[in-house]
Amino acid sequence: MTVALSGSEIASQIEKQFPGGVVESGADSLLVKGESLLEIAAYLKTTAGLDFDYLTAITAVDYYDCFEVVYQLTSIKHNHSLVVKTRCYNRDNPTLPSVVGLWRGADFQEREIYDLMGISFEGHPNLKRIVLWDGFQGHPLRKNFL
Amino acid sequence: MEVEEVYSSSELDRKEGKAINELIARSQEPIPDPDQWLDEELKRNILLTSVDAMLDWARRSSLWPVFCFPACCAFEFMTTAASRFDISRFGMEIVRASPRQADLMITAGTLTWKMAPQVKRIYDQMAEPKWVIAMGACAISGGIFRSSYSVVPGYNRIIPVDVYVPGCPPRPEALLYGIRMLHQKIAKMSIAAKGK
Amino acid sequence: MLADYGYIGLFLVVAIFFAVTTLLLPFFLSFPSRLVLYFRRFTRYLETHYPFLVRFIPPLPKFPRFMQVVPYNPTPVKSSTFECGMETIGTAWVRFNFRYYFYALVFIALDILVVFLYPWAVELRGLGLFGLIAALVFIFIIVIGYIYAWRKKVLEWK
Repeated sequence: MTVALSGSEIASQIEKQFPGGVVESGADSLLVKGESLLEIAAYLKTTAGLDFDYLTAITAVDYYDCFEVVYQLTSIKHNHSLVVKTRCYNRDNPTLPSVVGLWRGADFQEREIYDLMGISFEGHPNLKRIVLWDGFQGHPLRKNFL
Repeated sequence: MEVEEVYSSSELDRKEGKAINELIARSQEPIPDPDQWLDEELKRNILLTSVDAMLDWARRSSLWPVFCFPACCAFEFMTTAASRFDISRFGMEIVRASPRQADLMITAGTLTWKMAPQVKRIYDQMAEPKWVIAMGACAISGGIFRSSYSVVPGYNRIIPVDVYVPGCPPRPEALLYGIRMLHQKIAKMSIAAKGK
Repeated sequence: MLADYGYIGLFLVVAIFFAVTTLLLPFFLSFPSRLVLYFRRFTRYLETHYPFLVRFIPPLPKFPRFMQVVPYNPTPVKSSTFECGMETIGTAWVRFNFRYYFYALVFIALDILVVFLYPWAVELRGLGLFGLIAALVFIFIIVIGYIYAWRKKVLEWK
Protein backbone atom coordinates (compact mmCIF):
# COMPACT_ATOMS: atom_id res chain seq x y z
CA MET A 1 0.00 0.00 0.00
CA THR A 2 1.12 3.50 -0.72
CA VAL A 3 1.96 5.45 2.39
CA ALA A 4 0.13 8.76 2.50
CA LEU A 5 2.57 11.28 3.86
CA SER A 6 1.13 13.88 6.15
CA GLY A 7 1.63 17.47 5.19
CA SER A 8 3.25 18.47 8.41
CA GLU A 9 6.22 16.16 7.82
CA ILE A 10 7.03 17.77 4.53
CA ALA A 11 6.14 21.28 5.62
CA SER A 12 9.19 21.86 7.73
CA GLN A 13 11.45 20.62 4.94
CA ILE A 14 9.84 22.94 2.46
CA GLU A 15 9.81 25.91 4.79
CA LYS A 16 13.56 25.69 5.04
CA GLN A 17 13.95 25.85 1.27
CA PHE A 18 11.14 28.25 0.41
CA PRO A 19 10.35 30.38 3.39
CA GLY A 20 6.80 31.62 3.36
CA GLY A 21 5.67 29.23 0.66
CA VAL A 22 3.59 26.98 2.87
CA VAL A 23 0.38 28.52 4.13
CA GLU A 24 -0.75 25.68 6.34
CA SER A 25 -0.15 21.99 6.67
CA GLY A 26 -2.41 19.38 8.09
CA ALA A 27 -2.38 15.65 8.53
CA ASP A 28 -3.70 14.98 5.08
CA SER A 29 -2.53 17.79 2.84
CA LEU A 30 -0.22 20.70 2.31
CA LEU A 31 -1.52 24.14 1.35
CA VAL A 32 0.93 26.29 -0.55
CA LYS A 33 0.83 29.76 -2.05
CA GLY A 34 0.10 30.08 -5.74
CA GLU A 35 3.27 32.06 -6.46
CA SER A 36 5.59 29.45 -5.04
CA LEU A 37 3.68 26.48 -6.42
CA LEU A 38 6.01 25.80 -9.33
CA GLU A 39 9.22 25.87 -7.34
CA ILE A 40 7.79 23.75 -4.54
CA ALA A 41 6.53 21.26 -7.11
CA ALA A 42 9.95 21.12 -8.74
CA TYR A 43 11.53 20.63 -5.34
CA LEU A 44 9.13 17.81 -4.51
CA LYS A 45 9.89 16.12 -7.79
CA THR A 46 13.64 16.33 -7.74
CA THR A 47 14.63 15.91 -4.11
CA ALA A 48 16.01 12.52 -3.20
CA GLY A 49 13.87 11.03 -0.47
CA LEU A 50 10.72 12.70 -1.82
CA ASP A 51 10.93 11.92 -5.59
CA PHE A 52 7.32 12.62 -6.50
CA ASP A 53 7.59 11.61 -10.12
CA TYR A 54 3.96 10.67 -10.79
CA LEU A 55 1.09 13.12 -10.76
CA THR A 56 -1.98 11.05 -10.01
CA ALA A 57 -4.58 13.74 -10.45
CA ILE A 58 -5.29 17.44 -10.44
CA THR A 59 -8.76 18.58 -9.47
CA ALA A 60 -10.30 21.89 -8.58
CA VAL A 61 -12.92 22.81 -5.99
CA ASP A 62 -15.08 25.89 -5.96
CA TYR A 63 -15.49 27.16 -2.41
CA TYR A 64 -17.57 30.26 -2.62
CA ASP A 65 -14.79 32.71 -1.94
CA CYS A 66 -11.91 30.98 -3.62
CA PHE A 67 -10.93 28.19 -5.96
CA GLU A 68 -8.77 25.43 -4.61
CA VAL A 69 -6.67 23.28 -6.91
CA VAL A 70 -5.63 19.92 -5.51
CA TYR A 71 -2.56 18.06 -6.75
CA GLN A 72 -2.22 14.41 -5.81
CA LEU A 73 1.38 13.30 -6.14
CA THR A 74 2.81 9.83 -5.85
CA SER A 75 6.34 8.57 -5.70
CA ILE A 76 6.77 5.28 -7.47
CA LYS A 77 10.26 4.80 -6.10
CA HIS A 78 9.45 5.26 -2.43
CA ASN A 79 5.79 4.30 -2.62
CA HIS A 80 4.40 7.29 -0.81
CA SER A 81 1.93 9.93 -1.79
CA LEU A 82 1.13 13.50 -0.94
CA VAL A 83 -1.67 15.96 -1.49
CA VAL A 84 -0.74 19.56 -2.28
CA LYS A 85 -3.35 22.30 -2.52
CA THR A 86 -3.30 25.92 -3.66
CA ARG A 87 -5.96 28.57 -3.52
CA CYS A 88 -6.90 31.29 -6.00
CA TYR A 89 -8.84 34.14 -4.55
CA ASN A 90 -9.41 35.87 -7.88
CA ARG A 91 -12.92 34.96 -9.07
CA ASP A 92 -12.86 36.73 -12.40
CA ASN A 93 -9.71 35.45 -13.98
CA PRO A 94 -7.95 32.95 -11.78
CA THR A 95 -4.52 31.92 -12.99
CA LEU A 96 -1.97 29.48 -11.76
CA PRO A 97 1.37 28.32 -13.12
CA SER A 98 1.13 25.13 -15.10
CA VAL A 99 3.05 22.05 -14.01
CA VAL A 100 3.09 20.49 -17.47
CA GLY A 101 6.83 20.99 -17.62
CA LEU A 102 7.26 18.72 -14.61
CA TRP A 103 4.56 16.13 -15.14
CA ARG A 104 3.22 15.58 -18.68
CA GLY A 105 0.06 14.05 -17.28
CA ALA A 106 -1.04 17.48 -16.20
CA ASP A 107 -1.76 18.46 -19.79
CA PHE A 108 -5.30 17.18 -20.22
CA GLN A 109 -6.23 17.58 -16.57
CA GLU A 110 -5.40 21.28 -16.57
CA ARG A 111 -7.35 21.68 -19.79
CA GLU A 112 -10.32 20.06 -18.10
CA ILE A 113 -10.02 22.40 -15.12
CA TYR A 114 -9.83 25.35 -17.48
CA ASP A 115 -12.87 24.10 -19.39
CA LEU A 116 -15.12 23.43 -16.43
CA MET A 117 -13.84 25.86 -13.78
CA GLY A 118 -12.25 28.64 -15.76
CA ILE A 119 -8.85 28.58 -14.04
CA SER A 120 -6.15 29.48 -16.57
CA PHE A 121 -2.74 27.91 -16.36
CA GLU A 122 0.23 29.98 -17.47
CA GLY A 123 2.75 28.13 -19.52
CA HIS A 124 0.34 25.47 -20.70
CA PRO A 125 1.13 24.64 -24.33
CA ASN A 126 -2.45 24.10 -25.50
CA LEU A 127 -5.00 25.60 -23.14
CA LYS A 128 -8.35 25.12 -24.81
CA ARG A 129 -11.62 23.39 -24.01
CA ILE A 130 -11.48 19.64 -23.88
CA VAL A 131 -14.84 18.21 -22.81
CA LEU A 132 -17.10 21.01 -23.95
CA TRP A 133 -17.07 22.47 -27.40
CA ASP A 134 -15.27 25.55 -28.56
CA GLY A 135 -17.74 28.42 -28.33
CA PHE A 136 -19.52 27.25 -25.20
CA GLN A 137 -20.16 30.24 -22.95
CA GLY A 138 -19.30 29.89 -19.32
CA HIS A 139 -17.66 27.40 -17.05
CA PRO A 140 -20.26 24.92 -15.85
CA LEU A 141 -18.79 23.54 -12.65
CA ARG A 142 -18.57 26.93 -10.99
CA LYS A 143 -21.08 27.47 -8.25
CA ASN A 144 -22.56 30.50 -9.96
CA PHE A 145 -23.06 28.89 -13.36
CA LEU A 146 -26.72 28.02 -13.09
CA MET B 1 -18.55 17.16 -53.01
CA GLU B 2 -15.86 19.70 -52.39
CA VAL B 3 -13.46 18.71 -49.68
CA GLU B 4 -12.18 21.46 -47.42
CA GLU B 5 -8.56 21.16 -46.46
CA VAL B 6 -8.46 21.89 -42.77
CA TYR B 7 -4.92 22.13 -41.57
CA SER B 8 -4.88 23.23 -37.97
CA SER B 9 -6.61 21.67 -35.02
CA SER B 10 -7.83 25.04 -33.78
CA GLU B 11 -9.68 25.46 -37.05
CA LEU B 12 -11.21 22.03 -36.54
CA ASP B 13 -12.25 23.01 -33.02
CA ARG B 14 -13.83 26.21 -34.18
CA LYS B 15 -15.71 24.46 -36.98
CA GLU B 16 -16.95 21.82 -34.61
CA GLY B 17 -18.00 24.40 -32.03
CA LYS B 18 -19.83 26.42 -34.64
CA ALA B 19 -21.64 23.34 -35.94
CA ILE B 20 -22.71 22.39 -32.41
CA ASN B 21 -23.93 25.88 -31.56
CA GLU B 22 -25.89 26.02 -34.79
CA LEU B 23 -27.43 22.64 -34.07
CA ILE B 24 -28.46 23.81 -30.60
CA ALA B 25 -30.05 26.90 -32.10
CA ARG B 26 -31.95 24.80 -34.62
CA SER B 27 -33.16 22.21 -32.12
CA GLN B 28 -35.15 24.29 -29.70
CA GLU B 29 -38.43 22.51 -30.52
CA PRO B 30 -38.91 18.77 -30.70
CA ILE B 31 -39.49 17.34 -34.15
CA PRO B 32 -43.05 16.03 -34.42
CA ASP B 33 -43.31 12.24 -34.46
CA PRO B 34 -44.06 10.72 -37.85
CA ASP B 35 -47.49 9.32 -37.12
CA GLN B 36 -49.79 11.25 -39.39
CA TRP B 37 -50.40 8.30 -41.61
CA LEU B 38 -51.42 6.17 -38.68
CA ASP B 39 -54.48 8.14 -37.76
CA GLU B 40 -56.05 8.96 -41.06
CA GLU B 41 -58.58 6.66 -42.59
CA LEU B 42 -56.62 4.65 -45.04
CA LYS B 43 -58.67 4.03 -48.09
CA ARG B 44 -57.07 0.84 -49.02
CA ASN B 45 -56.96 -0.07 -52.61
CA ILE B 46 -58.19 -3.63 -52.81
CA LEU B 47 -55.66 -4.52 -55.47
CA LEU B 48 -52.76 -3.28 -53.41
CA THR B 49 -53.59 -4.76 -50.06
CA SER B 50 -51.56 -7.87 -50.65
CA VAL B 51 -48.70 -5.86 -52.11
CA ASP B 52 -48.80 -3.68 -49.02
CA ALA B 53 -48.89 -6.70 -46.79
CA MET B 54 -45.96 -8.31 -48.53
CA LEU B 55 -43.85 -5.16 -48.53
CA ASP B 56 -44.58 -4.37 -44.91
CA TRP B 57 -43.87 -7.94 -43.90
CA ALA B 58 -40.55 -7.83 -45.71
CA ARG B 59 -39.60 -4.49 -44.21
CA ARG B 60 -40.44 -5.35 -40.65
CA SER B 61 -39.07 -8.86 -40.60
CA SER B 62 -35.43 -7.92 -40.83
CA LEU B 63 -34.85 -4.50 -39.39
CA TRP B 64 -31.11 -4.04 -39.19
CA PRO B 65 -30.08 -1.63 -36.46
CA VAL B 66 -27.24 0.83 -36.85
CA PHE B 67 -24.75 1.48 -34.08
CA CYS B 68 -26.02 4.27 -31.89
CA PHE B 69 -25.15 3.31 -28.35
CA PRO B 70 -23.82 6.28 -26.41
CA ALA B 71 -24.44 5.08 -22.84
CA CYS B 72 -25.79 2.50 -20.43
CA CYS B 73 -28.89 1.45 -22.37
CA ALA B 74 -26.42 -0.16 -24.72
CA PHE B 75 -25.88 -2.86 -22.13
CA GLU B 76 -29.54 -3.67 -22.13
CA PHE B 77 -29.45 -3.75 -25.90
CA MET B 78 -26.53 -6.14 -25.77
CA THR B 79 -28.50 -8.30 -23.37
CA THR B 80 -31.43 -8.26 -25.73
CA ALA B 81 -29.16 -9.25 -28.55
CA ALA B 82 -27.57 -12.06 -26.58
CA SER B 83 -28.93 -15.54 -26.36
CA ARG B 84 -31.52 -15.31 -23.63
CA PHE B 85 -33.61 -12.55 -25.20
CA ASP B 86 -32.67 -13.10 -28.78
CA ILE B 87 -33.29 -10.40 -31.34
CA SER B 88 -32.01 -12.75 -33.98
CA ARG B 89 -35.45 -14.31 -34.04
CA PHE B 90 -36.65 -10.99 -35.46
CA GLY B 91 -33.86 -10.92 -37.99
CA MET B 92 -32.14 -8.08 -36.18
CA GLU B 93 -28.88 -9.60 -35.03
CA ILE B 94 -27.05 -7.84 -37.85
CA VAL B 95 -26.09 -4.55 -36.23
CA ARG B 96 -24.43 -2.61 -38.99
CA ALA B 97 -21.84 0.05 -38.40
CA SER B 98 -22.58 1.60 -41.74
CA PRO B 99 -25.83 3.52 -41.90
CA ARG B 100 -26.25 2.68 -45.56
CA GLN B 101 -26.97 -0.93 -44.69
CA ALA B 102 -29.23 -0.28 -41.73
CA ASP B 103 -32.86 0.68 -41.48
CA LEU B 104 -33.42 1.09 -37.77
CA MET B 105 -31.71 3.31 -35.26
CA ILE B 106 -32.17 2.20 -31.66
CA THR B 107 -30.86 5.15 -29.74
CA ALA B 108 -29.61 3.62 -26.55
CA GLY B 109 -28.11 6.21 -24.27
CA THR B 110 -27.82 9.81 -23.23
CA LEU B 111 -26.90 12.15 -26.04
CA THR B 112 -24.69 15.15 -25.45
CA TRP B 113 -24.70 18.19 -27.65
CA LYS B 114 -21.12 17.49 -28.61
CA MET B 115 -22.10 14.15 -30.14
CA ALA B 116 -25.42 15.32 -31.55
CA PRO B 117 -24.21 16.48 -35.00
CA GLN B 118 -22.59 13.09 -35.57
CA VAL B 119 -25.73 11.17 -34.66
CA LYS B 120 -27.84 13.42 -36.85
CA ARG B 121 -25.46 12.90 -39.72
CA ILE B 122 -25.60 9.15 -39.31
CA TYR B 123 -29.39 9.30 -39.30
CA ASP B 124 -29.34 11.43 -42.44
CA GLN B 125 -27.03 8.97 -44.15
CA MET B 126 -29.36 6.04 -43.57
CA ALA B 127 -31.29 4.99 -46.62
CA GLU B 128 -35.05 5.17 -46.57
CA PRO B 129 -37.23 3.58 -45.26
CA LYS B 130 -35.81 4.15 -41.81
CA TRP B 131 -37.23 4.15 -38.30
CA VAL B 132 -36.02 5.27 -34.89
CA ILE B 133 -36.67 3.69 -31.50
CA ALA B 134 -35.84 5.98 -28.59
CA MET B 135 -34.69 3.64 -25.84
CA GLY B 136 -34.54 4.71 -22.27
CA ALA B 137 -35.46 7.83 -20.35
CA CYS B 138 -32.49 9.81 -21.60
CA ALA B 139 -33.44 9.18 -25.20
CA ILE B 140 -37.05 10.16 -24.66
CA SER B 141 -36.56 13.38 -22.76
CA GLY B 142 -33.05 13.65 -21.45
CA GLY B 143 -33.91 11.57 -18.39
CA ILE B 144 -32.37 12.67 -15.14
CA PHE B 145 -29.88 14.79 -17.04
CA ARG B 146 -32.51 16.90 -18.68
CA SER B 147 -31.46 20.21 -17.17
CA SER B 148 -27.78 19.67 -17.79
CA TYR B 149 -25.77 22.12 -19.82
CA SER B 150 -24.57 19.51 -22.23
CA VAL B 151 -27.35 16.94 -22.67
CA VAL B 152 -29.81 16.90 -25.55
CA PRO B 153 -33.28 16.74 -23.99
CA GLY B 154 -34.46 13.78 -25.98
CA TYR B 155 -33.47 12.50 -29.40
CA ASN B 156 -36.63 13.94 -30.94
CA ARG B 157 -34.95 17.34 -30.90
CA ILE B 158 -32.69 16.28 -33.69
CA ILE B 159 -34.29 13.26 -35.39
CA PRO B 160 -37.92 12.10 -35.74
CA VAL B 161 -38.69 9.20 -33.41
CA ASP B 162 -41.21 6.46 -34.11
CA VAL B 163 -41.37 4.43 -30.91
CA TYR B 164 -40.49 5.45 -27.36
CA VAL B 165 -39.42 2.74 -24.93
CA PRO B 166 -39.37 4.06 -21.37
CA GLY B 167 -37.15 2.69 -18.66
CA CYS B 168 -33.85 3.43 -17.06
CA PRO B 169 -32.68 1.23 -18.61
CA PRO B 170 -35.63 -0.62 -20.10
CA ARG B 171 -35.51 -4.33 -19.48
CA PRO B 172 -34.92 -6.49 -22.54
CA GLU B 173 -38.56 -7.51 -22.46
CA ALA B 174 -39.52 -3.85 -22.64
CA LEU B 175 -37.23 -3.27 -25.59
CA LEU B 176 -38.65 -6.31 -27.35
CA TYR B 177 -42.15 -4.95 -26.71
CA GLY B 178 -41.08 -1.68 -28.27
CA ILE B 179 -39.71 -3.53 -31.28
CA ARG B 180 -42.99 -5.38 -31.57
CA MET B 181 -44.83 -2.04 -31.48
CA LEU B 182 -42.62 -0.86 -34.31
CA HIS B 183 -43.48 -4.00 -36.26
CA GLN B 184 -47.16 -3.23 -35.80
CA LYS B 185 -46.55 0.34 -36.90
CA ILE B 186 -44.74 -0.81 -40.02
CA ALA B 187 -47.51 -3.31 -40.74
CA LYS B 188 -49.93 -0.43 -40.99
CA MET B 189 -47.91 1.39 -43.60
CA SER B 190 -49.47 1.61 -46.99
CA ILE B 191 -47.55 2.41 -50.12
CA ALA B 192 -50.64 3.96 -51.66
CA ALA B 193 -50.89 6.54 -48.87
CA LYS B 194 -48.73 9.60 -48.50
CA GLY B 195 -46.45 8.13 -45.83
CA LYS B 196 -42.86 7.02 -46.10
CA MET C 1 -28.29 -29.15 -69.86
CA LEU C 2 -27.94 -28.06 -66.28
CA ALA C 3 -27.97 -31.66 -65.20
CA ASP C 4 -24.77 -32.23 -67.15
CA TYR C 5 -23.00 -29.67 -65.05
CA GLY C 6 -24.18 -31.01 -61.76
CA TYR C 7 -23.90 -28.96 -58.62
CA ILE C 8 -21.84 -26.27 -60.25
CA GLY C 9 -24.74 -25.46 -62.52
CA LEU C 10 -27.04 -25.14 -59.54
CA PHE C 11 -24.54 -22.89 -57.86
CA LEU C 12 -24.38 -20.73 -60.95
CA VAL C 13 -28.15 -20.37 -61.00
CA VAL C 14 -28.20 -19.40 -57.33
CA ALA C 15 -25.40 -16.90 -57.85
CA ILE C 16 -27.15 -15.24 -60.75
CA PHE C 17 -30.42 -15.16 -58.83
CA PHE C 18 -28.70 -13.62 -55.82
CA ALA C 19 -26.97 -10.94 -57.88
CA VAL C 20 -30.17 -10.04 -59.65
CA THR C 21 -32.32 -9.74 -56.53
CA THR C 22 -29.88 -7.87 -54.37
CA LEU C 23 -28.31 -5.58 -56.92
CA LEU C 24 -30.28 -5.25 -60.08
CA LEU C 25 -33.84 -5.64 -58.91
CA PRO C 26 -33.86 -2.80 -56.36
CA PHE C 27 -32.05 -0.62 -58.86
CA PHE C 28 -34.64 -1.24 -61.56
CA LEU C 29 -37.52 -0.97 -59.13
CA SER C 30 -36.26 2.44 -58.07
CA PHE C 31 -36.72 3.78 -61.56
CA PRO C 32 -40.22 5.19 -60.97
CA SER C 33 -39.05 7.19 -57.95
CA ARG C 34 -35.92 8.28 -59.78
CA LEU C 35 -37.85 9.41 -62.80
CA VAL C 36 -40.29 11.34 -60.65
CA LEU C 37 -37.41 13.09 -58.93
CA TYR C 38 -35.59 13.84 -62.16
CA PHE C 39 -38.72 15.24 -63.70
CA ARG C 40 -39.31 17.44 -60.66
CA ARG C 41 -35.71 18.69 -60.81
CA PHE C 42 -35.97 19.30 -64.53
CA THR C 43 -39.12 21.40 -64.22
CA ARG C 44 -37.60 23.37 -61.38
CA TYR C 45 -34.48 24.03 -63.46
CA LEU C 46 -36.59 25.20 -66.37
CA GLU C 47 -38.71 27.43 -64.17
CA THR C 48 -35.66 29.17 -62.74
CA HIS C 49 -33.57 29.51 -65.89
CA TYR C 50 -35.93 29.40 -68.84
CA PRO C 51 -39.39 30.27 -67.61
CA PHE C 52 -40.77 30.82 -71.05
CA LEU C 53 -40.12 27.19 -71.98
CA VAL C 54 -42.31 25.85 -69.19
CA ARG C 55 -45.42 25.95 -71.30
CA PHE C 56 -43.88 23.44 -73.68
CA ILE C 57 -43.60 20.69 -71.07
CA PRO C 58 -46.56 18.36 -71.49
CA PRO C 59 -48.35 17.53 -68.24
CA LEU C 60 -46.76 14.12 -67.93
CA PRO C 61 -48.61 11.86 -65.57
CA LYS C 62 -46.10 10.96 -62.93
CA PHE C 63 -45.86 7.41 -61.70
CA PRO C 64 -48.54 6.51 -59.17
CA ARG C 65 -47.44 6.09 -55.59
CA PHE C 66 -47.78 2.33 -55.54
CA MET C 67 -45.13 2.06 -58.24
CA GLN C 68 -42.66 4.10 -56.23
CA VAL C 69 -41.88 1.20 -53.98
CA VAL C 70 -38.15 1.78 -53.72
CA PRO C 71 -37.57 5.32 -52.47
CA TYR C 72 -34.99 7.61 -53.98
CA ASN C 73 -34.47 10.83 -52.07
CA PRO C 74 -30.84 11.87 -52.27
CA THR C 75 -29.73 14.85 -50.21
CA PRO C 76 -26.21 16.27 -50.01
CA VAL C 77 -25.65 14.91 -46.52
CA LYS C 78 -27.08 11.52 -47.39
CA SER C 79 -24.87 11.13 -50.42
CA SER C 80 -21.73 12.25 -48.65
CA THR C 81 -19.02 9.81 -47.67
CA PHE C 82 -19.50 8.05 -44.38
CA GLU C 83 -16.90 8.98 -41.75
CA CYS C 84 -18.61 7.87 -38.55
CA GLY C 85 -20.84 10.90 -38.44
CA MET C 86 -18.22 13.54 -38.96
CA GLU C 87 -17.67 15.72 -41.97
CA THR C 88 -15.06 14.13 -44.14
CA ILE C 89 -11.56 15.54 -43.93
CA GLY C 90 -9.42 14.76 -46.92
CA THR C 91 -10.06 12.20 -49.61
CA ALA C 92 -10.62 8.49 -49.26
CA TRP C 93 -7.67 7.47 -51.38
CA VAL C 94 -4.69 8.17 -49.15
CA ARG C 95 -1.06 7.30 -49.57
CA PHE C 96 -0.23 4.15 -47.72
CA ASN C 97 3.03 2.49 -46.77
CA PHE C 98 4.58 0.68 -49.74
CA ARG C 99 5.62 -2.21 -47.54
CA TYR C 100 2.03 -3.45 -47.58
CA TYR C 101 2.51 -4.00 -51.30
CA PHE C 102 5.58 -6.19 -50.76
CA TYR C 103 3.80 -8.32 -48.23
CA ALA C 104 0.82 -8.68 -50.51
CA LEU C 105 3.06 -9.80 -53.39
CA VAL C 106 4.91 -12.39 -51.36
CA PHE C 107 1.63 -13.59 -49.90
CA ILE C 108 0.07 -14.07 -53.34
CA ALA C 109 3.01 -16.08 -54.59
CA LEU C 110 3.10 -18.37 -51.60
CA ASP C 111 -0.68 -18.66 -51.52
CA ILE C 112 -0.71 -20.02 -55.07
CA LEU C 113 1.94 -22.49 -53.99
CA VAL C 114 -0.18 -23.63 -51.07
CA VAL C 115 -3.24 -24.05 -53.27
CA PHE C 116 -1.30 -26.49 -55.42
CA LEU C 117 0.09 -28.27 -52.42
CA TYR C 118 -3.29 -29.09 -50.87
CA PRO C 119 -4.41 -31.73 -53.41
CA TRP C 120 -0.87 -33.01 -53.64
CA ALA C 121 -0.78 -33.55 -49.89
CA VAL C 122 -4.09 -35.40 -49.96
CA GLU C 123 -2.88 -37.84 -52.63
CA LEU C 124 0.70 -38.07 -51.47
CA ARG C 125 0.64 -41.76 -50.68
CA GLY C 126 -0.78 -42.66 -54.05
CA LEU C 127 1.69 -40.56 -56.03
CA GLY C 128 4.75 -42.29 -54.74
CA LEU C 129 8.30 -41.11 -54.97
CA PHE C 130 7.87 -39.47 -58.36
CA GLY C 131 5.11 -37.25 -57.04
CA LEU C 132 7.18 -36.31 -54.05
CA ILE C 133 10.20 -35.30 -56.11
CA ALA C 134 8.09 -33.34 -58.59
CA ALA C 135 6.40 -31.32 -55.87
CA LEU C 136 9.67 -30.74 -54.08
CA VAL C 137 11.17 -29.34 -57.27
CA PHE C 138 8.17 -27.03 -57.55
CA ILE C 139 8.52 -25.91 -53.95
CA PHE C 140 12.22 -25.39 -54.41
CA ILE C 141 11.66 -23.06 -57.37
CA ILE C 142 9.18 -20.94 -55.45
CA VAL C 143 11.29 -20.89 -52.31
CA ILE C 144 14.23 -19.52 -54.28
CA GLY C 145 12.13 -16.47 -55.03
CA TYR C 146 11.09 -16.23 -51.41
CA ILE C 147 14.68 -16.39 -50.17
CA TYR C 148 15.64 -13.73 -52.71
CA ALA C 149 12.96 -11.45 -51.34
CA TRP C 150 14.10 -12.22 -47.81
CA ARG C 151 17.72 -11.40 -48.52
CA LYS C 152 16.76 -8.17 -50.24
CA LYS C 153 15.21 -7.02 -46.97
CA VAL C 154 11.74 -6.84 -48.47
CA LEU C 155 10.17 -8.41 -45.39
CA GLU C 156 11.56 -5.93 -42.93
CA TRP C 157 9.32 -3.19 -41.65
CA LYS C 158 11.13 -0.01 -40.85
